[in-house]
Amino acid sequence: MTTLSPTEPAPVGKLMPEPEGGRRGSSLRRSRRRLIIGLITPAVVLMLLVHLLPMLGGVYLSFKNLNIFTFRQLFDAPWAGFDNYRSILFDTDNPLRSGFTGAVQNTIVYTFWTVVGTLGGGLAVALLLNRPMRGVKVIRALMLTPWIVPSFVVAVLWQYMWQSDIGIINKVLVDYTGILSERPIWLIGENSLWAIIIPSIWRGLPFAMLIFLAGLQAMPQELHEAASIDGAGPFKRFRYITLPLLRPLIAVQLLFGVIYSTYQFAIPYVMFGNNPGPDADLMMTLIVRQSFSNNLFGYGSAVSVLLMLAMLVWVAVWYRAFKRDLEVA
Amino acid sequence: MTALTLTPRARKRLVDRGLDVLTYVVLFVMLAPVLWLLISAFQDDRELSTGAYDLLHPTVSAFTGMWKTIDFERFFLNSLIICTSAAALATAFASSAGYALARFNFRGSRGLSLTVIGTQLIPGSMFLLPLFMGFIWLKQNAGIPLYDTHAGMILVYTAFFTPVAIFFMRSFFLAIPRDLEEAAMVDGCTPFKAFVKIVLPNAAPGLVATFVYAFLFAWDELLFVSNLTQHTAETIPIGIRTFIGNYQQRTAQLMAAGVVSTLPVLIAFFATQRWLVKGLTAGAVKG
Repeated sequence: MTTLSPTEPAPVGKLMPEPEGGRRGSSLRRSRRRLIIGLITPAVVLMLLVHLLPMLGGVYLSFKNLNIFTFRQLFDAPWAGFDNYRSILFDTDNPLRSGFTGAVQNTIVYTFWTVVGTLGGGLAVALLLNRPMRGVKVIRALMLTPWIVPSFVVAVLWQYMWQSDIGIINKVLVDYTGILSERPIWLIGENSLWAIIIPSIWRGLPFAMLIFLAGLQAMPQELHEAASIDGAGPFKRFRYITLPLLRPLIAVQLLFGVIYSTYQFAIPYVMFGNNPGPDADLMMTLIVRQSFSNNLFGYGSAVSVLLMLAMLVWVAVWYRAFKRDLEVA
Repeated sequence: MTALTLTPRARKRLVDRGLDVLTYVVLFVMLAPVLWLLISAFQDDRELSTGAYDLLHPTVSAFTGMWKTIDFERFFLNSLIICTSAAALATAFASSAGYALARFNFRGSRGLSLTVIGTQLIPGSMFLLPLFMGFIWLKQNAGIPLYDTHAGMILVYTAFFTPVAIFFMRSFFLAIPRDLEEAAMVDGCTPFKAFVKIVLPNAAPGLVATFVYAFLFAWDELLFVSNLTQHTAETIPIGIRTFIGNYQQRTAQLMAAGVVSTLPVLIAFFATQRWLVKGLTAGAVKG
């Protein structure tokens, strides 16, 4: 995830450099080539078989009329042209379309707040833990715990904590502290999207913290010292030194944070089941429900294709915005 | 300085203590849900379902009961088998491909890097259905059992976590000085031998980190296992779903199951934390 630095130039092969001509040269070149092919083949074959081929299959199926009646024919199901796309995007009478627009809106809200909360919170906690403090190493390790809890456990746990009558959250908010006078209902209606956003932030924040903390600790101290001699306060130093130096890290986290949040499935699925309702339905729960419960496989594939196109657009936007930082990194 | 009668030094100390307290508060908030999971797991089903709890009288009844309520052992063993195998295979494939990307500049190396990143862009739902149909097709037409088998899930998970693992391993290999291999090759080692005998042992922390990382993610996976298995190869997340579906009122047991399913990854993580954190933050420090 964060270890990816996409634009970093591939290191020049000093090891076994491309040999010059001659008989000895060509045999060396052949053995070098054989070694490289041997090294990359397993990974390439796997990605072809499990990623690329099925991906093309997914695009193909999105043009098929694939439902419970035609499923037996598998890949030979009847052709549907752009019908699936048309009904998703333009067919206003189709209830599937309103379900789609609702899920798009929810996913945008979910992704926005999850990424903002994760990165903002992660940076804040990293700054807190970047100070000298007794036992700071232990605190850093403990702070990572939520990231280790599997998502399906996160969902089960928070679903129990969100319960309106018996859940600990309402007990704390209403009974113990009196912050609220009425018990909110978290798992149904307008709050239900927050019921998945907050646990997602809780689970993602430690990882962002870890990355930012590593970045902070690798930062040259001289800059801060020089600036503070020149009279820059902590806020100015953060704004003009820390933040610009963290930009490449923010960029990579933002890229993958948006992608992974948009593809979130486990937390809403375990917390709400197959149908989270119109207020918390996300793209992935919609696609899986329409495909595997309602047997609208062609429709599901078409939504997946649109989702992937949206992510390609996001990557392009991201690349334009952060190109500068990647060249520096 | 300010209107306060504090000296600058005293003020700094006060701010520092305040930030210490804030750190502890944040830590408590982050750990509170996990503590609540533990506390609830040591309670009684009947009490929990009414919202009552008794912190002074913990009981392990939920931990003994959960194995009988659902066949948790089956889910647990399946998870162990599938995730361990997939993580080991992904680490093996990723270390060889990561080595090629770290050390050689070959035709297509850039394309390979881009493909590896590109795989992360594909929504799971997009290739889930073709995989599902492909599994069924293979069984019907070629007799290859991948649907609802360990082999099928291991194949899928190995492929899933290989791309990220490649970048993981690549950054570990980049940190190993080339002199080592060059010296070995001068001594007559073939490049492959140099990789296996010299580089891999030096990358041991990276191998461990990559393995644990892949294991964590495989352990967490739900979408594919819920659609590509039916009984034989179901893993823990499916067990938890079964629990919620059929025994919703047995909250303490559900929480106990949550604790039991978290323990393996928690142990794996903290046992290898030093290397794992190094692997996770390799990109951050390098930049």
